[in-house]
Amino acid sequence: MTAERAQLKLTELAEDLVSLGSRKGADEIEVSILDGYEFSVDVRWGKIENLVEAGSRALGLRVIKEKRTAFASSSDLSRETLERLVENAVKRAALSSPDEFSGLPSLSSQQIDILSLHLFDPEISKLDSKEKIALALETERIALEDKRITNSHGASFETKEIKSVLANSNGFLREYKQTLCGLSLGLQAGETDSRVEDYWFSTKRHFRELEPPEKVARNAVRRTVRQLSPRKIKTQKVPVIFEPMMTSWLLGFLFVCISGVSIYQKTSFLAGKLDKRIGNSRVNVIDNGIMSGLLGTRPFDAEGVPCQRTVVVDKGILKNYLCNTYAARKLKAKSTGNSTGTGVAPNNFYLEPGETSPEKIISSLEKGLILIRTLGHGLNPVTGDISRGAFGLWVEKGEVVYPVSEVTISGNLGEILNNIEAIGNDLEFRSPVCGPTIQIRELTVAGE
Amino acid sequence: MKGNSSLKFEDHFQLSSADLQKILSLSLSRGGDFSEVFLEYKTYNLINMEEDIIKETAESISLGLGIRVLSGEKTGYGYTNDLSIKGVKKAALTAASIASSPRIQAASPLKLSRLEHNFYPVLRSPHLENLEKKISLVKNCYSAAMNLSSKIKKVKVSFVDQTQQVRVINSEGLDIRDARPLIKLVCLAIAEKKNKREAGYSGGGGRVGLEYFDKTLPPEEIGQDAAKEALELLEAVLPPAGEMPVVLAPGHSGVLVHEAVGHLLEADFNRKKTSIFWDKMGKKVASSQVSIYDDPTIPHFRGSYNIDDEGTIPTKTLLIDRGNLTGLLQDRLSARLMNEPCTGHGRRQDYTFIPIPRMSNTYIDRGEHTPEEIIFSVKKGFYAQKYQGGQVEDSGKFTFSVSSGYLIQDGKLTAPVKQATLIGTNIDILNKIEMIGSDLEFGLQTGTCGKEGQSMPVNDGCPTIKIARMTVGGQN
Repeated sequence: MTAERAQLKLTELAEDLVSLGSRKGADEIEVSILDGYEFSVDVRWGKIENLVEAGSRALGLRVIKEKRTAFASSSDLSRETLERLVENAVKRAALSSPDEFSGLPSLSSQQIDILSLHLFDPEISKLDSKEKIALALETERIALEDKRITNSHGASFETKEIKSVLANSNGFLREYKQTLCGLSLGLQAGETDSRVEDYWFSTKRHFRELEPPEKVARNAVRRTVRQLSPRKIKTQKVPVIFEPMMTSWLLGFLFVCISGVSIYQKTSFLAGKLDKRIGNSRVNVIDNGIMSGLLGTRPFDAEGVPCQRTVVVDKGILKNYLCNTYAARKLKAKSTGNSTGTGVAPNNFYLEPGETSPEKIISSLEKGLILIRTLGHGLNPVTGDISRGAFGLWVEKGEVVYPVSEVTISGNLGEILNNIEAIGNDLEFRSPVCGPTIQIRELTVAGE
Repeated sequence: MKGNSSLKFEDHFQLSSADLQKILSLSLSRGGDFSEVFLEYKTYNLINMEEDIIKETAESISLGLGIRVLSGEKTGYGYTNDLSIKGVKKAALTAASIASSPRIQAASPLKLSRLEHNFYPVLRSPHLENLEKKISLVKNCYSAAMNLSSKIKKVKVSFVDQTQQVRVINSEGLDIRDARPLIKLVCLAIAEKKNKREAGYSGGGGRVGLEYFDKTLPPEEIGQDAAKEALELLEAVLPPAGEMPVVLAPGHSGVLVHEAVGHLLEADFNRKKTSIFWDKMGKKVASSQVSIYDDPTIPHFRGSYNIDDEGTIPTKTLLIDRGNLTGLLQDRLSARLMNEPCTGHGRRQDYTFIPIPRMSNTYIDRGEHTPEEIIFSVKKGFYAQKYQGGQVEDSGKFTFSVSSGYLIQDGKLTAPVKQATLIGTNIDILNKIEMIGSDLEFGLQTGTCGKEGQSMPVNDGCPTIKIARMTVGGQN
């Protein structure tokens, strides 16, 4: 690839458009460019189903004139189209309303050292197609050796290489490269009319950190077959243990509720709760965008604000909302480096682990449900209400006795945070939003 | 705001038909048995209003092409937005590499097909309408919601219009085009009383021009509906929990047929035998009152299309006929491998994706009962009215999240209920359908369905339906 030349061209293009915008009358302008390459292979029952390989680019821009904002984006990077988009955006800004909170962030004096974040693995571009296909095939093959597995959704291996460029009229101009690779497998067990299914995956920035095929396959098999011959249970209120994947799901909902955008829009039940208790003293939640090599790590956010470590909840007290520049100005706070452009996104957003092993948490449970999967939507940030279809494992006297399906769990995030009775020591950064095993004192489980 | 947005579709691609013919042949150069190029130019406009101001507008352009090669059950795919001959050839060779057969076929000469139908004639393509006109729709919707009650504390309105132009050519000589308008006006309203806060939502649109807001659904009505829902939820109680008779409201409850039935009748899941339906073709899977269709040809509906994303002219497809499973939603690949006719349900989000079988407008056909007699037949139960969405897995287990509904007591709707979840297994629930109303309606023209990372505009509908027993998840 002509990587060097392409790189030169993209930063130049970004700078050119910034100066064009200024010439056309924009008070402020921001240009971002993504240059991506992706490879993915899906295999099923030992054969390739799909093989996709492609490179693509996209450009986004924001123009502010007299405190009025207009956005534009394009996958057509011809100069003619881009120049027209810049001109249109400057004209279109006049149709928005003036908004004193709009505008780009001022240029930060501090910048994160990009190399120290270890976002790019050169090994990934050296993998050849055969090697990548073999990984997917091997993962599925190992799983299908288990006779309890009756069908396969297939295994996939994918890689991505992305270059991001950001320039703005306050003098920001930086770029960084990142890589991702992922191996995943979905399985079914049981006969057609009593099928159960689940999957497992590993996604990393560095190829050598990826879980090997054996591990992905064993986990997918274990997670699938443990649901065979489920029972329904009676409607009741019981203690519920969340597996780490389920804690991650809960944290994802918490993120929506503490995002500065939801707060200033008053669409979150946590609006107005800064410096107040929102959970019990076990609850510590962090957003950290500068942890080395993790999936939610980045040197700067979509507006060029350096990423940082932000304490969101400290011993149950809500300390910070996560903000882009706009939400921060609205809330009289500082941007936390979580901008996606118009919105906010988590960097590495996690619940801090406790000291108890997950095995100990389960063995101390007299009677209750281990939540292993949920299905559906049923999250309401305005109230914090949660209501979802659920799959679980029923526990009696500290031991799993049978799987449970076709139940729903319902509760309220505010109440859940106050009722976390145990936090496991098993935090793994498998995704940008994550958490360890937790035990909740009581949730309503609806069944028969 | 002039510019090359008025260019003819072909002019966005510097590729002649002769070039494309060569690309099709190049993509078969490793022995593939079918090749296809999907060319797409999409424009998109957005307006957001909140806190009483027009916060932002956005314009977006997407231009690119995807090249697909089939070789037996295998698919090779390359896409690019580098539309130089060199860039396109590279994508073609990437797709071609899936095959490795010594038998090289030539692509048939392209023959332009002209469509005799148009399911979405509009007075003027929405992306050509001026922005001021769209902004006034947004403002009218916003004020109607805000002014309904002093308890409405927050309103957010978005307007989106999109025009997607596609051209599909393939190695069988097909050369066919479609231009698909799509608009959507949505409103979120938040009501507050003491310390309680609730959200209501409404919206409308479809493959229509702006005249829709004069004739079919005024923006004021959308705003008022969202505000009314939020106000009503302030008075709502938490739902009961457990198994009980459930009555589904007409229209919005179409999400049930979409999730519980539609997905698992997409041909890929049946070809791969992962769907619970794969071994049940011709068999009884539902109560004999139940007939289900998927119809991509309903004029102006969000889920409709003149051609699917493989260039096939779509057909209204009967999926379940009076309780018996009769049809699947077929794309080209599954139809060929299953030796069935293609129903024209191969869709893709954009040129970066491989087409897969998808729903369009899916609905349960009308029955004989009046909605009143259905509700009257329930002594104690739950009436599900509006939904946040649903999800299904191949085993047939599904959930819906109900955002608002009512308790049914002694044959009447009583207290409003919020945030409940319905859960079940599809064949079990289909067989428990006891009564179907004569009042077929469709849901809001704002729905989007996700599958394998691809979002597609869809719609769904149903009449009032009574399910004998179903698990309702709630806190009481």
